[in-house]
Amino acid sequence: PSIPEGLPGATSTNKDGVLVDEFGLPQIPAS
Amino acid sequence: MAHWFHRNPLKATAPVSFNFYGVAGSPAANKICNDLRTTRARLLEMFTDVTCNPEIMKSATDAYLSLLQGFISSLDGTTQENKMRFIQNFKWTDTLQGNTPSAQQDAVFELVSMAFNVAIWYTKFASRLAGKENITEDEAKEVHRSLKVAAGIFKNLKEIHIPRLITPAEKGRDLDPRVIDAYIIQCQAEAQEVTIARAIELKHNATLIAALSFETANFYQKADHTLNTLEPECSSKWRKYFQLKQHFYMAYAYCYNGQTLLASDKCGEAIRSLQEAEKCYSRAEALCKEYRQTKGPGTTAKPSEQLFFLKLGGVIKNTLEKCQRENGFIYFHKVPAEAPQLELKASYGLAEPVAFELPPLSEQCTAEVYATFDLTKGPKNDKAKPKEEEVRPVKEPDLKPQKDTGCVIS
Repeated sequence: PSIPEGLPGATSTNKDGVLVDEFGLPQIPAS
Repeated sequence: MAHWFHRNPLKATAPVSFNFYGVAGSPAANKICNDLRTTRARLLEMFTDVTCNPEIMKSATDAYLSLLQGFISSLDGTTQENKMRFIQNFKWTDTLQGNTPSAQQDAVFELVSMAFNVAIWYTKFASRLAGKENITEDEAKEVHRSLKVAAGIFKNLKEIHIPRLITPAEKGRDLDPRVIDAYIIQCQAEAQEVTIARAIELKHNATLIAALSFETANFYQKADHTLNTLEPECSSKWRKYFQLKQHFYMAYAYCYNGQTLLASDKCGEAIRSLQEAEKCYSRAEALCKEYRQTKGPGTTAKPSEQLFFLKLGGVIKNTLEKCQRENGFIYFHKVPAEAPQLELKASYGLAEPVAFELPPLSEQCTAEVYATFDLTKGPKNDKAKPKEEEVRPVKEPDLKPQKDTGCVIS
């Protein structure tokens, strides 16, 4: 397995493959 | 942004000594009984200790439940019930039923009741932290996580452990599926409230905020409907909370939906959406008063006087005025008679329960030690049995919500 980047749990992707934060909000604000 | 959440009281229980004279036939068996008594007492202490945090709570919970499973899991390699499961009577009150306890002579009842209280503790911890004036990002994360952990515990108890009980839950008691479902939905909805506050702070787009608010309002409505067949004396106050939050988040949804409509030059529809937001907000305000006047278990507060509540009123008013100004100068749209239909599906920010797993069985609980428990050597007559302890109500720390002035020291 590849080396994980960043802190565990800090970010993940949702079911659409979008990078989200711990709250499930998109990483980059859309506006 | 400070949050406000309604909380029902913790469950109370009678002390349990785990003194099984004669039955515990070896030093190792006696040690398990002693450790059960001390770890249980410590966990009960933690529920009302204001310095307790999730890390301490987890370790206290694991210490007790890892031993208690020695009275539930099969330890002799057979499929037969653990012989110790039904040896001890456990008494617990319920969060909606005052000081009248339920009792079952079943270690699974103890496991479920104790874990239920752990979940309630997580919701109370989250509530304390979320009520602070200037909540930091890390604290918001902790609130969000604690609520999801609590939801996960409730869900696990409902799906895995409560079905194992021989005596089914009575109506309105904590293990009644309606009550436990209401707790699960409440935890998810409150976690989403934290997410909505964050989305606003980070200036996420209005569509995302409207959709998450709408889903959150629907969660509160679902929780309210879940309780509609319970006795009003025990559920009315809690239901008023669900209703006021439902209308409050509908007001949010219409308000941010109005902003989306304005951004796409639908000014007339935007005005109508904001008028609907005002209507929902007024209804929420009236429900705040009703909540305060309703007798029942749980906290008392004046939510409509708190900053989180007043703030939304200001946002709705300003946005509506902006829309009306722009309509008078630029758009000249007719305001529709019907409020816009909200068919918003949230793609972001929905809170899922964190999966809960029981700790592994304590290393003390081996097949060899289990064999040294001998039920035939217990007290022969009732007089020799230890006296049943009474259930004393839990003295919860008096945590008055801090007054949120909205002032920031920079």
